[in-house]
Amino acid sequence: MATFLFYLLSIITVASVVAMIFSRHQAHNALLLAVAFTSLGGLFALLQAPFIATVQIIIYAGAIMVLFIFVIMMIDLRQPFPPLRKKWVFALGALLIVVIFFELIMVIKSFPTASKATNLDFGHPASLGKLLFSKYLYPFEITSILIVAAMVGSLYLARRKER
Amino acid sequence: MNEFASLSPLLILVGASLIILLLEAFGQWSKRWLHSLIALASLGGCAIFAATFWGKGAGYFQGTYTLDNIAILMTVLFSLAGFLVILVSLSYMIQHGFNRGEYFSLLLFAVSGLIIMTTSEDLIVIFLGLETLSVASYVLAGLKKEDEKSSEAAIKYFLLGSLASSFLVLGLAFIFIHSQSFSLKEISFVIDKSENSPLFLIGFSLVLIGFGFKVALVPFHMWTPDVYQGAPTPITAFFSVGPKAAGFLVLFRLLRPFLEPIFSRQNLQIILWLLSALTMIVGNLVALRQKNVKRLLAYSSIAHAGYLTIALMTQDGQGLIFYLLAYLFMNIGAFSILIALSPNGQEFHELDDFNGLATRAPWLAASMSVFLVSLAGFPPTAGFLAKFYVFSTAVRQGYTGLVIIAVLTSLISVFYYLRIIVHMYMSKQISKITIKADDPILLVVIFFCLYGVLQLGLFPGRVLTLIQKAVLSLPPL
Repeated sequence: MATFLFYLLSIITVASVVAMIFSRHQAHNALLLAVAFTSLGGLFALLQAPFIATVQIIIYAGAIMVLFIFVIMMIDLRQPFPPLRKKWVFALGALLIVVIFFELIMVIKSFPTASKATNLDFGHPASLGKLLFSKYLYPFEITSILIVAAMVGSLYLARRKER
Repeated sequence: MNEFASLSPLLILVGASLIILLLEAFGQWSKRWLHSLIALASLGGCAIFAATFWGKGAGYFQGTYTLDNIAILMTVLFSLAGFLVILVSLSYMIQHGFNRGEYFSLLLFAVSGLIIMTTSEDLIVIFLGLETLSVASYVLAGLKKEDEKSSEAAIKYFLLGSLASSFLVLGLAFIFIHSQSFSLKEISFVIDKSENSPLFLIGFSLVLIGFGFKVALVPFHMWTPDVYQGAPTPITAFFSVGPKAAGFLVLFRLLRPFLEPIFSRQNLQIILWLLSALTMIVGNLVALRQKNVKRLLAYSSIAHAGYLTIALMTQDGQGLIFYLLAYLFMNIGAFSILIALSPNGQEFHELDDFNGLATRAPWLAASMSVFLVSLAGFPPTAGFLAKFYVFSTAVRQGYTGLVIIAVLTSLISVFYYLRIIVHMYMSKQISKITIKADDPILLVVIFFCLYGVLQLGLFPGRVLTLIQKAVLSLPPL
């Protein structure tokens, strides 16, 4: 079952990313990226990292996609981008792909085995919560002040003039 | 219980800020004076409560929050800055159309960010304090929503500030990879074992860039003139005093383990030497060409960051804090005069607007002259003593070349400071701008700053011993 899910999610991820690259419509691009992020979250869940999976979906597929869609809405591009015709762009892209490919191979070769890299608790919500409410309690509390300040500020700037 | 009470300065500020927000939402329109009263009372309470912990070394949250003597001094300094800024903005905010509770609330958040930064030796906490300060500052810069320059200042500050924050975060990540800790104490243990780890050097330089941006050191100063000019004048006064003081104090704590004369960390000293020299030269030379006094003061604040970097390099905590205190009085004083020249929603800050100010408002002109003379560093003002202490320590530690540059650039600065005085006293034409010289609160603040500048310049003894005690109470490394 897990193997089947893994292949299913992988195929969805890769397919949506490829479709995103070839699509020339911004809204479709954003949607396909959201699909890719969500299925990537599913892959994390399969690897028994429930927290990372949730964060992946909430933050990437949720918050960041909303940001993208807002930007697309604001700059209001009616017609899609014309396809690229410059040769050096393709050359540069090809070069980068080769470099990244070799980098990935090197990383995979030198990758430590799973038991070395992580212990069982890694990325588990409970262990994270324990840290957040013990060792990192003070930073956690400051974050709430930070968020209130940001909220007050953005509400002030976004409101229309009154009276 | 006593330990928990040490959090009170911070709790008072955040609590007051939230109360003001609630009052803004549900309170009556006619009772808005209450906002400013709460804000002022909370800043006063913050300073008093902090002062009661003098010498006790109290802390909370397993040492990530420590109210040591230096932190207490800085808390008092920040509260004083916030207090004066609120006082000078009382009539300014009504005339310039941002008379809202959010202003006080954001200012209090900014001050609590400053306090968070200076009361910790934990890099995560310092970063979050800096972000609280920054987020509040971005909005404060753009408070005048109808004003294009103010919005431009907010956007520029936000974009460049976020960039600087990302440098800082990346640097912290590198340092964490190297030392597996965010606590400065533990990091300094690890560093002593491994002399020159590239990871650590990269991380450290990135952190230096992040803070260099905040305190406006020269390659990272581009935002300063535009933001200072566009932001509402009281906020500019706050920017030039608060974030700068906090940034330098954090850098002081951060660099302490790495600048001990015994180890002589060559690379770091060369970097700081270059930053300081560049900041002094560029800041002072570009200030020569400014026609707008607010912009001129922005470049002057860049130049002063250069002098402060000398104190950082020589690890002269006493000179650094004294300089920051002197800078608070002379800068808030000078900006208060600029506020007196911003009546009814307009701002007259060109050099020509100062023509003949001496005949029209002799007291304002005289006080402005004292502040400018102090900024230039003439005796018997605080600015002279501040520079004198910093430079003499540097000479004693053998940085003669840097001090020569500092003295030469100070001489250059005399030219542009004196030019404003010449415009005020010796100009034939008299500008016709309206001057708001009858606001009693503004006059009280100007008088208080005048008193501070002269007191620190003539009888600095008691303040100096206080600062010395605080610096000596730092734990040895």
